[in-house]
This record gives sequence, C-alpha cells and structure tokens, in this order.
Amino acid sequence: MAAGLFELGQVFAVLAVAGAIALRIGLSVIPLYVIGGMLAGPFVAGQFGLPHVPDSELLTILAEVGIVLLLFFLGLEFSLDRLLAARSRITRAGIIDVTINLPLGIVIGLALGWSVVEALLLGGIVYISSSAIITKTLIDLGWIANDEADPILGTLVFEDLFIAVYLAIVTSLVLGGGTADVNGLGRSLAVAFGFLGALLLVVQYGTTFFSRILDVSDPESFVLRILGIVIPIAGFALSIGVSEAVAAFFVGMGFSTSGHRERIERQLTSVRDVFAAVFFFWIGVGTDPRLLVGVAVPLVAAVVLTTPAKMLSGYLGGRVYDLSEHRAIRVGIGLVPRGEFSLVIAALAAGGSTPVMRETIPALAVGYVLVMSVLGTLLMQRSEAVDRAIGRVLPVGSDA
Amino acid sequence: MTVYESDLPGVGKKHEIDLPDGTQLVVVTHNEGRREVFLRPAPDGDSEKLFELSDDLARQVGTILEGAYFQPVKSQNIETLLGGDTLLEWVSVDEGSPIVGQTLGESDLRAATGASVIAIERGENVIPSPGAETEIQPGDTLIVVGTRENCEDFESRVTGA
Repeated sequence: MAAGLFELGQVFAVLAVAGAIALRIGLSVIPLYVIGGMLAGPFVAGQFGLPHVPDSELLTILAEVGIVLLLFFLGLEFSLDRLLAARSRITRAGIIDVTINLPLGIVIGLALGWSVVEALLLGGIVYISSSAIITKTLIDLGWIANDEADPILGTLVFEDLFIAVYLAIVTSLVLGGGTADVNGLGRSLAVAFGFLGALLLVVQYGTTFFSRILDVSDPESFVLRILGIVIPIAGFALSIGVSEAVAAFFVGMGFSTSGHRERIERQLTSVRDVFAAVFFFWIGVGTDPRLLVGVAVPLVAAVVLTTPAKMLSGYLGGRVYDLSEHRAIRVGIGLVPRGEFSLVIAALAAGGSTPVMRETIPALAVGYVLVMSVLGTLLMQRSEAVDRAIGRVLPVGSDA
Repeated sequence: MTVYESDLPGVGKKHEIDLPDGTQLVVVTHNEGRREVFLRPAPDGDSEKLFELSDDLARQVGTILEGAYFQPVKSQNIETLLGGDTLLEWVSVDEGSPIVGQTLGESDLRAATGASVIAIERGENVIPSPGAETEIQPGDTLIVVGTRENCEDFESRVTGA
C-alpha cells in the first residue's frame, strides 16, 4: 500500500513538473507527459537505480480510464446533426483527408514488410490528428476567430466519426483475429457490431432516461453518476473483446442530447484531463527509449512522408471551404499535430499477438507523436515562414 | 446589421458581426463560459484579439452595452460628414427660438451664415427643398448643409444664444 501510494505520488509530481515546463515553453503538454513517464519509468530512472514508477496494474487501469474519458468527451462533442448540416463541406474535406493519409500509412506499413492488420494500425496512427493539441493551439494563436478554424474543426469532426468505426473494426482484428482463423474473426466482429449496435439503440432512444438520471443539482452526484455509467459500460465492452473506447464514444453521444452537455463539460473536463495525463504518462512508462532508436528509420520515413501529405490534404480541404490559398495552407499546417488518438491506437496495438504489434508499433507511435506534436505546434506558431517557404518551392497563386 | 453564428466543435460558438466601417467583430464563446473578442480588419484578414472576459464579467459588460444602467439622451445635434469640411446637420427649433414665425426668406439665415436649409422635418412629414416663403414653426427640425463653421453659426442663431 505505502509503496503504491508513493509511486502514484511520483506520477502526479512528475506530471505537475512536465505541465509547468510545457506552459513555460509554449508547447503542448502531451509530449512532455510522455517524456516525463519515460524518464520516471523503469527504462530510465529504473536503469540508474533511482526510485521509479513501475508499469503496474494500477497505473494501467487509471490510464484506461483516461482513454475511456477521452473518447467519452469526443462522443459528447460529436453531433450527427452538425455533421449532416454541413455535410457537403465537412464530408468532402474529411474524405480528402482520409483517402490521402490513411492509405499512405498502410503503404508505409506494407513497405516495412508488415501484415495487413499491422499496416492498418500504422495507417490509423498517422491519419488521425490530435483534437486536443490542435484545438488548444487554435485558441492560443487566435486562429479560432479566423476562417481557417471551420475546415480544421470540421475535419476533426469527420476524423472523430471515422476513428469510432475504425477502432470498432481494428479492436476486433487485433484482439479476436490473433489467429488466422476466419471464423474466430467473423465471430468477434459480429460480437462487436452486435454490442455496439445495441448500445447505439439505447443511446438513440434513451435520451429521456439519460436526462432524468442527470437531473440532480448536487455536483458530486452528477459527476459520480456519469462515471458510474460510462466506466462500467466501457469495461463490460472490453471484457467481451469490444473496443472500450468506442463504447465510451457512444455513451458520450447519448449524453450529448440529454440537455446536460455543457454542464458535463464544465464539471468533468478536469476529471478527464487528470486521467488523460496519467494515460500519456503510462504510455511513456511503457516505452523503452532504446526501442525508439531501433525504429528510427521507419520513424523518419513516417514523419517525412506524412507531414507533407497532411498539409496537402488540409490545403485541399481548405479549398473546399473556398478559402484563399494562403489560408488553405494554414488549414494544412493546422492539421499536422498528432497526439492522443495515435497513442490510443498504439495502446490497442500493444495488446496484439505479434512482436511488431507488441513492440515496434507502440515505440514507433510514441516517437511519431513526440515528433509530430512538437513539429505541428512549431509549424503552426511559424505559419508565416512556412507559407513563404512553400511559396518559394511551389507556384502558390496570387489570390490572397 | 448581419450576425453570423457558427459552431466550433470542442470549443464553443463563434459570432461574427459586420461593423459599418467594413471591419468585423468576432466573439468566441467558449464552452466553459469565457468570451474572447476579436476585431477582423478586413473580411479576409487575420483577427486581432481585443480582450477576453470571464462569463460573469461578459454578462456585466453586456448589460452595460445594452443600456440597462445608463441610456444616453438622444443627441440634439446630429451631424453627418459629407466629405471635405461639408456637414449635413439636423437643427431643432424650440418654442423660444427667435426665428419661430418667420419665413425662411425673412430669417435671412442663408445670407447671414452661408448654410442652407435643404429640408424641414415637421412631425411625421418632411418638406423637401423648402421655398423662401416657408414659415418656420416650433418643433421643426431644419436639415442644413454647409461647412462646420457655417453650421455652428446657423445653430447659434436658431437657438438665439
């Protein structure tokens, strides 16, 4: 007990320091939380015989709550009506985004000699942009009030929906399809879609039920009732081999129409952020920096190929919104940061059956997110210089 | 006045208000209540952040802007700059004005001040291009065109000051 509490204390102390450094240097907290976990974990602090945080079951479960709450909030913010209302533009920008970036990641994976499932995992990791980093940077830079905010946030909405479907399928492939048994795979996909379909029905028709449950003025009961619904449902989903993240996403969608959305956001954001921070820390604890050296070549290839690809798809998405070329370039730059969802996919891969899934993909994903979160934020902060550099290389037009 | 409202998924809502001078005011309302107010100098320009208010403060400032605490009186002198130094000015004629009961010709205001009366607002009606025989009544508003100096001179003669 005493040792466990001290370890958990170390976790929060390191997170607090990492957060302070991030604030000071104007970077996202995510890469610093991961690095904090790496330094305080068994592979760095442990190697030097210092008191370190082991990759314990307790930490894993707290990190799992972080994943569940991240996806729950995504579902909460996700509105099918919003997607449909602006469907022509959001969908067109979103389809450009997914048809450029997902196949690129899959091709990189196949080129490394990986299996289709492994390549599909890499496709997801390089495809999905970081809502957390991008939204925060948009606000910090004041872009949120500009026209480029609409295609950027619209594309993120499309990615959110896509990632829910993607996680549902890929979780079944990774957890159920370890053997090349087609029947087993079919069964696990059937279970996944059966459970998620039933959950979606409950969510669709349970609005009054959700509203009544949350109709309580006491803030403590309010928070506990939400956690008391979302965490058991996500846990049950995982126990039958279904993505806990997607289950949480659907529960979030259910709560979003309950009329309590804003109150949930106000009262649970800090709860989510605490557990999400533990999730990023846990990712760091499980990462051996030496493995990062081992994946250096595919890492460099992924960064060099996917950064311009994302800028191109974002640029085209911006043009769908009738933005000027310079502003569309900003949309491309604004979608470069990758973060929490790439790491969620990496955590899923780590539960897989092949060495590539267990070691290579998580290490590659951590390295990739460390680079892309920092690179993306820096590119956004220096967008003028990036725009000028692009103008020198490519014949960017004169309509702005 | 046109106000555009749009959703900012994960952030809140954005309202864009066209201002008369061609700039746009952009108000970003965050889900947690904070308001950020930006000014966009041109429709395709970058927004510059003016200030930020907490939820409580924004409501307080909002009621002040709305006029709940202080209603400015309707100004006696409304003027419009036509360009150069030429003004269009609205001058009210009170009961005690020395020109009440005179015709425009008798008042001789144009010769004395250089400003001409181009219209008279009388109650619901407007008399356009009033002739020299038009009689000035209490409660009239004379719409006058002239240089700023002409108009000031005109106004002081009408009020009798």
